[in-house]
Amino acid sequence: MLTKIPKWNLALFVIIIAEIIVFGMLNPRFWNVTILLNSFNDFIAIAIIGFFVTLVVITGGIDISGGSIIGLTSVVTGLLSQVASLNIWVSIICAIFIAGLCGLLNGVLIAYGKVQAMVITLGGMLLYSGIAIVLVGMSGVSTYEGISGFSEGFSQIANGEVMGIPHAVLLFIIMFIIAYILLHRTRYGRYIYLTGINKNTAEYSGIHTKKIIASTYVLSGLSAGIAGVVLTSYLGSARSDYGAEYLMPILTVVVLGGTLITGGKGGVVGTALASIILGFMLIGLQMAGVSTQYIGLATGVLLIVSVAFLGINRDFRSNMKRIVTQKQNIGG
Amino acid sequence: MYRSASLIKQREFRTLLFLILLFVVVGFINSDYLSWQNIDKSLKSSLLFIVLAVGMTFVLLTGNLDISVGGTLGISAAVCGTILRDGGNIFLAVIAALLIGACIGLINGFGVIKLKISSFIMTLAILSITRVVQVIYTDGKWVENIPAHVKELSNLDIFGINLLSFIVIVGVIFVQLYLSKSSKGRYYTAIGDNADGAISLGIPVKRYIAYSFVISGVCASLAGLIFVSQIGFVSTNAGAGIELTVIASCVLGGVSLIGGIGTVVGAALGAIILTSINSALVYMKVPAFWNDTISGSLLIMIVVIDALLAFNASKKAKKVRLNARVLQKEA
Repeated sequence: MLTKIPKWNLALFVIIIAEIIVFGMLNPRFWNVTILLNSFNDFIAIAIIGFFVTLVVITGGIDISGGSIIGLTSVVTGLLSQVASLNIWVSIICAIFIAGLCGLLNGVLIAYGKVQAMVITLGGMLLYSGIAIVLVGMSGVSTYEGISGFSEGFSQIANGEVMGIPHAVLLFIIMFIIAYILLHRTRYGRYIYLTGINKNTAEYSGIHTKKIIASTYVLSGLSAGIAGVVLTSYLGSARSDYGAEYLMPILTVVVLGGTLITGGKGGVVGTALASIILGFMLIGLQMAGVSTQYIGLATGVLLIVSVAFLGINRDFRSNMKRIVTQKQNIGG
Repeated sequence: MYRSASLIKQREFRTLLFLILLFVVVGFINSDYLSWQNIDKSLKSSLLFIVLAVGMTFVLLTGNLDISVGGTLGISAAVCGTILRDGGNIFLAVIAALLIGACIGLINGFGVIKLKISSFIMTLAILSITRVVQVIYTDGKWVENIPAHVKELSNLDIFGINLLSFIVIVGVIFVQLYLSKSSKGRYYTAIGDNADGAISLGIPVKRYIAYSFVISGVCASLAGLIFVSQIGFVSTNAGAGIELTVIASCVLGGVSLIGGIGTVVGAALGAIILTSINSALVYMKVPAFWNDTISGSLLIMIVVIDALLAFNASKKAKKVRLNARVLQKEA
């Protein structure tokens, strides 16, 4: 059984256990299950986007516009429901649809325009957060206070619970299952891997790589839209600057989860575990009395150490293999 | 004649044309924009970005990316600011800041070369670490009360041009000459264009990648010094998000993120364009919240047009090659 689980995921799992033990010893309140489950609310947005950015990264691209799509969705939801007084559910669907359109724009320009993913999503990041700010500015709503006054039903999206399990945890699991099935259990998922491993070969074997690449960006945009709605619901007001500081955590989660930034290798399970590690670390350090300003140090070191470990590990293994096989040749 | 034709074809020329167009169009709407004072001011406010873009170009040319410049800028500005505030020697402050920049560049280079971490991840991690180190160093406070003679340095004039602007422009020209004329300078382009080929030619690829990160770090701390002198105080989030603007201005100036293509002059022009847009909006009486939307859509448009042009050019070149082959056979 254990041999079936990739070693890296096992290591991540061990880190989670270690985190729970260490932070629990620093502050026994950390062992309270309710607090742990509720802490999911603090990193659910990062995790949701991380799942689908993993797909993008596996195709060999990168999507850094997720954070600003959160802000845009949040503002659109707020404006449609509060200022234009549409039904809240209709406005949520509109907002997520717009997030999908943002992803589509990214995807089409990257796949069909043959421009570097980094550049387009960088421009997209400026553009989408800019549109959010423009929308707020034109509607005359206060930028700092945001749009509030949402209905009870809307705030239940993030703050409610079913049988003692917070909605955030359920949403985490649902989005994880969707991403997992898409990537690991469907033909589409195999195509994503093939595109990432060798785009030309995939193209020659009849895969519409352009469509595959564009679709991953749409998925990533949609997930950012969902994250934006959840975050708005959790915090109770719509603001354009939500998600502005999420660029770093999202990429940390994806890379820490064992996905190669060059594409072709990785998985959603690792991303899920890594996001839990990151989330628990944030809450644990806060409980241990470390100021939130210092958390960047921990995530930065974690990122470097994990990636360095992954890289060195890979080289080490291939070197070992070469030495071993050479010896066998001599022996034979 | 041939020379002028090749000049027009160059990417930097198009960037310059765009910059001039921007000034003319905005000047048409509000003639104050074309005044010498405003041009001088635009140049002054873009100095920071020009210096950062020059450093970034070195890294981009080798095919890597440096996200940590904002953090480097912040921490070296903070260190330099504290030394000056406590009455320290100005040379000491400058040297300390430059050393910090070089050290951070070395760490980045070490991670990319020895630990084999992708430069994007490595510098992203260093960015978040340097931010925290800055907070620890300054104890979360702003560095204020920087002596007035330091602030005056940024306002000195020479031949009617701001002294700092003059130095930066001359510096950019020298760096450009180094990159395009000196054999060592060509190494950076060669590495980004074809790393394996560069190794075969005997270029010490790893060492030059490390150099590029050190240069970027030093440029970032130079920008930190300009920041201290121009702004006069250092907040805890000085330079936050500046790295993306710098990358955007490099891309606007025609530097390729894949490496091997681009010039320092182009990157500097890109930086001027991005900062001029902000002041142009003010002169056109457009609300400031349009800034990001316009910069973002401009970036996307220019990049896509560039890609299409490059695609067409390569198609045409292919056709020419093919035709030549056919002609040869016929003969």
